[in-house]
Amino acid sequence: MVVLGLALAFALSGLRIDAWGALLPLFEWMETSWFGVIGQTWGAVFAVVEASHLVAMALLGGAILVSDGRLLGLLLRDVPVQTILSKTHRLFVIGLLVAIASGIFLACGVAMKLYYLPVYWFKMLALTAGVLFAFTIKRPLLADGVEDLNPWVVRAVAIASLMVWFTVAATGRWIGFSG
Amino acid sequence: MRLNPVGQAEQGRSAGYQPHEFRDAERAPFSTRIRRKPTVLNRLIYDCALWLDATAWSTLLHESYYMYSWVETTHVLSLILSLGMLFLIDLRMLGFALPQVPATTIAQRLQLPMFIGFGVMIITGLLLFYANPVRNAQSVWFRIKVLLLVGAAVNALVFNYRMKQSVAAWNHAPLAPPHIRSGALLSLMFWILIVICGRFIAYDWFDCSHGQTGIINLFAGCIDGQGQF
Repeated sequence: MVVLGLALAFALSGLRIDAWGALLPLFEWMETSWFGVIGQTWGAVFAVVEASHLVAMALLGGAILVSDGRLLGLLLRDVPVQTILSKTHRLFVIGLLVAIASGIFLACGVAMKLYYLPVYWFKMLALTAGVLFAFTIKRPLLADGVEDLNPWVVRAVAIASLMVWFTVAATGRWIGFSG
Repeated sequence: MRLNPVGQAEQGRSAGYQPHEFRDAERAPFSTRIRRKPTVLNRLIYDCALWLDATAWSTLLHESYYMYSWVETTHVLSLILSLGMLFLIDLRMLGFALPQVPATTIAQRLQLPMFIGFGVMIITGLLLFYANPVRNAQSVWFRIKVLLLVGAAVNALVFNYRMKQSVAAWNHAPLAPPHIRSGALLSLMFWILIVICGRFIAYDWFDCSHGQTGIINLFAGCIDGQGQF
């Protein structure tokens, strides 16, 4: 609730515009950094990192779909929930780290284009929401098992998780069509 | 004209092309002689692509900004579904994911969402090809991707056959036997390369409109004097 309140206060106040303005020097620096120069100079390197980003998203997506599919009772129903959650979490973290690392490289190559692209900021907001949701809500809530929880709460967590990560993937793809 | 993420123009249909002409083919460089004699298969592929290109739906799909973007987004999202499931199956065989869950449980239960993802991916992939058939049919990366897809399909059939033959002996083991692990590793490699080639299709490095070297012209199936790209 605290996180949600802070997010709403940030989104609805002038802080959002101030933060956006304050980030301009960072994006200008990103474009002139080594990653930025490599991304702009060697299209093949940029394309390979784009593919790595996609592969990482597939790993991340697989981990999310299996864990949330199990919470919804759609997948692997004869395997204990805790087994699925604990083992897919490691894949989720690996996928997330690779996606973020490759994403930073890609962002450096087209930093100024992204800075003025609304859909990029939607993606960043969705990504922040997804990461916060995964580590501050979903994981602590389900850490002691789902037996004592209301089944509708468990389903709501799974649906919220699927929706936020779907938004991350869809807005990410839409960046390619914009600008 | 579409722009790829680094702002390079993705090739459309109407780029200009002026092939080199040699009065004496015997004295022309080897690379040019290859280009002057397209193989029967390349000519057939080009003619089929031209026929597809002339259909109204192809033009509509290519020119529709939102429809094309939706199809491509669905292609990527279904790739996340199908490859996500495939990666978990392969990583289970390699001992990296859910090692305490029986191998058959993982393989059988994740097969349905994986096939749903593959189905949507194939349909949207065909639509993407149909939206710009001549350029895609003459893309080196598209051709490599098709070969890799055939390789991945053959590997999947061999993998399934071998798994059915031997799974009773190692179903509960955290690590599959070497012949199954090699199939899983090969599957991962095939799909990572397929994703890379799929991403490379958007770039115009080896497009016929750029006047490529002979070997690229042969492999891409460029036709001397062709008017469409």
